[in-house]
Amino acid sequence: MLVSEIDMITPSSLSECLMQLSKEGRIHRLIAGGTDAAVRMKEGKWRPEIWINIKNLNELRYIQESEDCIYIGPLTTHKDIIYSPLLQRKADVLVDAAREVGATQMQNMGTIGGNIGTASPAGDTLPALYVLGARLELTSLSTKRIIPIEEFILGPGRTVLKENEMITKILIKSQKPNEIGIFQKLGPRKAQSISIVNVAISLTLDQDLKCREGKIAFGSVAPTIIRARKCESMLSLGTINDELIRNIAKIAWKEVMPISDGRATATYRRDMASALLERGLYRLIRRWDNQ
Amino acid sequence: MKSIQFIVNGKECTVLCPPAKTLLDVLREDLGLTASKECCGKGECGSCSVLIDNEVVCSCLVLAGQAENQVITTCEGVGLSPNLDVIQESFIAEGATQCGYCTPGIIVSAKAFLDGIDHVPSVGEIKTALGGNLCRCTGYTKIIKAVQTAASQKISEPETIR
Ligand SMILES: Cc1cc2nc3c(=O)[nH]c(=O)nc-3n(C[C@H](O)[C@H](O)[C@H](O)COP(=O)(O)OP(=O)(O)OC[C@H]3O[C@@H](n4cnc5c(N)ncnc54)[C@H](O)[C@@H]3O)c2cc1C
Ligand code: FES
Ligand code: FES
Repeated sequence: MLVSEIDMITPSSLSECLMQLSKEGRIHRLIAGGTDAAVRMKEGKWRPEIWINIKNLNELRYIQESEDCIYIGPLTTHKDIIYSPLLQRKADVLVDAAREVGATQMQNMGTIGGNIGTASPAGDTLPALYVLGARLELTSLSTKRIIPIEEFILGPGRTVLKENEMITKILIKSQKPNEIGIFQKLGPRKAQSISIVNVAISLTLDQDLKCREGKIAFGSVAPTIIRARKCESMLSLGTINDELIRNIAKIAWKEVMPISDGRATATYRRDMASALLERGLYRLIRRWDNQ
Repeated sequence: MKSIQFIVNGKECTVLCPPAKTLLDVLREDLGLTASKECCGKGECGSCSVLIDNEVVCSCLVLAGQAENQVITTCEGVGLSPNLDVIQESFIAEGATQCGYCTPGIIVSAKAFLDGIDHVPSVGEIKTALGGNLCRCTGYTKIIKAVQTAASQKISEPETIR
C-alpha cells in the first residue's frame, strides 16, 4: 500500500465513528494526533486502507469530575492535561507525566487516547494512569465495557481492543487531600525523547510522613508497565525516612525486569530505575512539605 | 485524490491531493510555501513547525485530510519582507540565524509562545517552549536572546501586532 493510496474518513460524531469501525472487509485504523500513526505510516509499518480521522471529534475531548472520579476524553491532548486546574489538583502525577511527553509540538498534537492506543512500554502517561487506578471505557456500535488499564495492555503495541472498538473514556480516581504523586523520567535528553526508564509514584500519607498506602509503576523496564509490588508493600510499613527510601530503591533494582536494547543496557536500566525511584521519593516528600 | 480546503495565512486554498499526504508536502509542493522545511520527517526537529489554530505543530506529521478546514499559519504568514514581524526583526538584529534551515520553524514556535504570554520570558521558559526545535548551527544563545528581545519589544510597543 502506498501512502498516496490511503484514504481517509472524518466522522462528524462518535456514533458515525463507531459505525465506520464496525465496517468489515477493509483495513482501517484510527488516527488522532497522528504523532505515532504518521511516523509509523512513513516507516511502512502502519498502512491501513483507510484512516479514520478522529482528530477533531471534540465530543471526546473533555476533562470532567463527578463525585470521586475524573473522566477524561481520549482526544484530550497532553497540553489540555498540563493546563487543567482540576488535574493539577487531583491527578498531579498525570500532569507531571504529560509535561514530559515530547516537546511543545507533541504536547499540542498528541492525545492521551493515542498514548494508550500505542501501548508502548515507554509511554509516559501510562505509569501515571496505572497508579491512579485508571479504567478504560471501550465502545463498539453494539457493546460497551469498562476494564482496568492493566488488563487493556498485553505487551508492546498489543492491547485487547477489538477491531470495531475504540477507547471512549478514561476514568481515574480523584486524589484526596492526603494523596500526592510524582512522575520521573530518564531520557537521552530533556525534550522530545523516549523514556529509558520512567516511574510514577502515588502515596497516601498521614501525619508525620506515615505512609498508609503507596503505588509505584515503572515504564520501559518490562514488556508492559509494571507495578513494583514489593516496593509498594515496604512503603505501607511505616514512616518515610532516608533508610526506608534507600531500602526501597535497592528492592526496586531487583524487582524490575528490563532488557537491553538500542537505548540502554538492562543493568543501566536497573540502576536508573532504582535511582529514579529514590529521587522521586525524595522530591515527593519535599513537595509534600511545601504544600 | 481528494479536494481539500484550508485557510493558509489568511487565504482560502483548495488542493487536490491524497488525504494521507503530509501537510508539509502540501504547503511546499501544492501551495509553493517553502519556508517550512523537512529535516527529520518524524516530529523530532521542528523545522516543519506551523500553527494550526494558533498552536504549534509539526506539519510533517499532520496528514492533509486531518488539516481540512483548519486555519494554518506558516512562517510566510508570520511576516514577509518588508512587513516582518518583530520576532523576525529580532532574529536579524541578534544574528540568530546561520544556515537558516531551522529558522522558519523556530520563528513560528516563538510566535505561538510569545502570543501566549505577556512578560519577557526567562531562558528556562524559552528552552521549554522551543525544546522541540533543533538548530545545528547557532548554539542557541542568539536564538534565546532574539526571543527575549522580541518579547521586550512587543511589550513596549503592543500596537505593532499586525
Ligand atoms: C518526536 C516525538 C516525540 C515523542 N515523545 C514522546 C514522549 O516523550 N513520551 C511518550 O509517551 N510518547 C512520545 N511520543 C509518542 C506520541 O506522541 C504519544 O504516544 C501520543 O500521545 C500519541 O497520541 P496521538 O494522538 O498522536 O496518537 P495517534 O498517532 O493518532 O494514534 C496512536 C495509536 O492509538 C490509536 N488510537 C488513537 N486514539 C484512539 C482511541 N480513542 N481509541 C483507540 N485507539 C486509539 C491509533 O489507532 C493508533 O494505533 C513521541 C512522538 C514523537 C513523534
Ligand atoms: S521535519 Fe518535521 S519535525 Fe523534523
Ligand atoms: S541556523 Fe542552521 S540549523 Fe539553525
